Amino acid sequence: MKRLATALIVAAAATAGGALAAATGTTTPSALIYPAETIPIAFDHAQHARLGATCEGCHVSAQTSTAAADNLIPREAACRSCHKIDRDLPAKAVAHGQGAARCDACHVDAAGNRWMPGGAGAAVEPPRVVLARPNLKFNHKLHAARGIACALCHANADMQQAPVTRVDLPMMATCLGCHDGKQATARCSACHLTEPDGRLKTKLLSVATIAAGADGPLVPSGSLRGIDAHGPTFVRDHSVAGREERYCLTCHKRNDCIDCHGGVVRPPDIHPADYVSLHAVDARRNVPDCSACHRTQSFCVGCHQRTGVGADPEGGLPGRRANNPFGTGTGVKTFHPPGWARDAGGAPITTPRPNSHALAAQRNIRACASCHREESCLACHSADPTRGPTFSPHGPGFGGTARCRFLAARNKRVCLKCHQVGAPELTCD
Amino acid sequence: MRSRGRLALLALVAVTVAGARPAAAYDFTVGLRTIGQGYQVRRFAADGSNELLSRRRLTQYMDLAVFDLAPSRWRGDDGDRNVLYFDASLRFDSDFGGYMLGRPTGTDEIHELKQSQLDILYAFLGGRNVGGRVDFMLGRQIHFDLVDFFAYDGGAALVHVTRNFAVEAYGGTEVRGELPLSAPIYELDGTSAGSRDPATRADQNSMLRPLAGGAVVAGSDAGPLMARLAYRRVWSATADQQIGEPDSGVNDEKLALTALATWRNRAYVAGGARFNLLLGEFDDEQLLVKLRTFARQWVTLEHAYLAPTFDGDSIWNVFAAGAYRDLRAVYEVGIGPEVKTYARGFIRFFTASGQAGGGSLGAVWRRGRGFLRADGYWEDGYGGRKVGVDASARLGIRRAFEIEGRLTGYEWRADATGDAARSPNDAGVVFGAQAGGRWQLGRGVKLHLLAEDNVGTFYSSAFRGLAVVEVDASL
Repeated sequence: MKRLATALIVAAAATAGGALAAATGTTTPSALIYPAETIPIAFDHAQHARLGATCEGCHVSAQTSTAAADNLIPREAACRSCHKIDRDLPAKAVAHGQGAARCDACHVDAAGNRWMPGGAGAAVEPPRVVLARPNLKFNHKLHAARGIACALCHANADMQQAPVTRVDLPMMATCLGCHDGKQATARCSACHLTEPDGRLKTKLLSVATIAAGADGPLVPSGSLRGIDAHGPTFVRDHSVAGREERYCLTCHKRNDCIDCHGGVVRPPDIHPADYVSLHAVDARRNVPDCSACHRTQSFCVGCHQRTGVGADPEGGLPGRRANNPFGTGTGVKTFHPPGWARDAGGAPITTPRPNSHALAAQRNIRACASCHREESCLACHSADPTRGPTFSPHGPGFGGTARCRFLAARNKRVCLKCHQVGAPELTCD
Repeated sequence: MRSRGRLALLALVAVTVAGARPAAAYDFTVGLRTIGQGYQVRRFAADGSNELLSRRRLTQYMDLAVFDLAPSRWRGDDGDRNVLYFDASLRFDSDFGGYMLGRPTGTDEIHELKQSQLDILYAFLGGRNVGGRVDFMLGRQIHFDLVDFFAYDGGAALVHVTRNFAVEAYGGTEVRGELPLSAPIYELDGTSAGSRDPATRADQNSMLRPLAGGAVVAGSDAGPLMARLAYRRVWSATADQQIGEPDSGVNDEKLALTALATWRNRAYVAGGARFNLLLGEFDDEQLLVKLRTFARQWVTLEHAYLAPTFDGDSIWNVFAAGAYRDLRAVYEVGIGPEVKTYARGFIRFFTASGQAGGGSLGAVWRRGRGFLRADGYWEDGYGGRKVGVDASARLGIRRAFEIEGRLTGYEWRADATGDAARSPNDAGVVFGAQAGGRWQLGRGVKLHLLAEDNVGTFYSSAFRGLAVVEVDASL
């Protein structure tokens, strides 16, 4: 029974995995780059290749094209060299072995049915090829001049039994095969459209792109760096990807960063509705990292003091402090539990306990700094006996640590906030 | 001395801009964004209950960029050489409403509650690919890398020594909130100019902080390997120096290495490590492996270590003995081109003791300008518990009009006091609803309106309204 269950689970997992792989296993070019098109032509590339046709033999203008927007689909004149078309004879018959000359040999209607003039319900003119301007720069002439074969980018086109459409066009990974910064430039703007300031153009929505199912601005697919893929968790998880500004600024303005990192509007993908109620949970464990966007000593302290959570006896809200349940003094309740800093009698605790402040400070002192200024700590931890208790915050052997030596060597001012000038303990021995 | 330096900088910018004429044509982009917000914040009332405090904010961004400052004959064949430009962003932020009423003034003033502030976020003259080798920026600038976000007034230059190797150097003074027209958002944390205790040396915050740094960059955006080693040092003279005190001190000194390696468009490894020379230890480490298992499937595994550190003048550098270490995993699956789903989990280990962890699941369906998104999350451990769901949608109604909405519900229990019976304010349930619309009023002019109402354990209604008017113009 157990074996059967195991086999069933394995089979189900394999089926689900296979289905998932099938559903996610292929990608096509972005409709933002190659928008919707209409190519109402029946064409067998493979057959023509077998008969000796070459790419440049039909796509003559490709050799001289300098813009991606150029229509490189051969016109009727190019076909006529083999297909003896006569527009006055739409159903013209040709000898066996010769290229077909009937209209419906090549033309199809919107439904994919063969098109003949005068046919039932058929338009007078054959359906036209409609190509939308690609949102890309491409110079065929330049590539041809470098001796780059058509097949390098349009691999397998000559084996295709249908016209090459937008879904068959090369994707970025193909371009990067040469555009690696060594063989050819790796500048994004070499291929992508740019704004006047040199950033890549990411707002490419148009009637054509929407018709092709494009979904908003152009974003990295991950083909280039992987970590830049703008997936559903990217906003929350871009700390590693965002470490290199030059790359981000390829598309973004600096203000895009400032909007969240130092901004004034709550980003809904990070903070849900009424985040003020919830934020204490996140702030204590620092997930997400508060300091990535907020400076505790201005943003957090300012709001906490105003809402009665702050610990500043002078700056706190006058007239409310006596009854402030979250004040640290004489209120009906205190914010921190008993034994946090003082015992039930109000005397400072001398030995850290599980619920005392030392552990919280060690876990995430930024949470402390969101309400307290340095003077809160100096009240009990200064070496100056005139201030009060002189509990040392340094662990045993601090004087011998690298932290002591480095800090004392680079900024002794911080030591002098607690210690007297010339005090023997300032030597880090 | 400071004003003389600023005057010299302004003169240099003016001379450079003036000297660049005649150009073929300047390209201007002007961006104006006005954000008005009104919302209610929960506060603890005098009797220990909750009350809602109204907060109103008005924020105005003004962005100006001028391109093609150099004469067109300077430009190379590719059009991307010797590009000179000017880029600036100003922000005015003002706080109104009950939140600001009755605030202490005079000696009791809350330093952190400045009601109105005008900041130059950045304003610099830039050069790109000058002589085919040099990029530069001159003026107020904001940068970000593994060293950190940081803003300074000064100059930076990046020289492309070879195609795959560049050297960068910069210098100036740190932008601090104490200076005029300066935002405190990227200054080092840990000291407060609002401190009133003389021992905290709050006057040190107003001192000018010189800054110098540099980096070497190897590799290219499209290459298989890329690395950047950066260094930064910030220091300041001692304010009101007394006998026996040092004449200066280092506020920040860091060395950071970031690297990225790719393999056949399938596997990516990225990471970095930051050594804090102020404390003699690593305070930030990241290692991320991302695998493309199928065309639309990604698996990301990440390890991170972070030790809180502060401004060199902050005693919290001494107190901050602990750190935390994270393990994270994300699995993303695209089902067809329109649907993306994900599962995400993390666990955080505090070196002092304790753990926290959680996960989330979600899916996004996008078509055209519209989307439908659903997320669920759960986290527990040190800090408390939160469990919630969120559903949002946007729909393009006409070419110039979109509607949007969001429904949110969550339950949380914070362990701030460690005693829920004593602190009933530490747990609750919130339901929120948002509805709004975005109008394209004209070419480059957008209006975004959003209304939100929340109902929860502590109140029956807390309203939030948002209005954004955005103007983007290119001349």
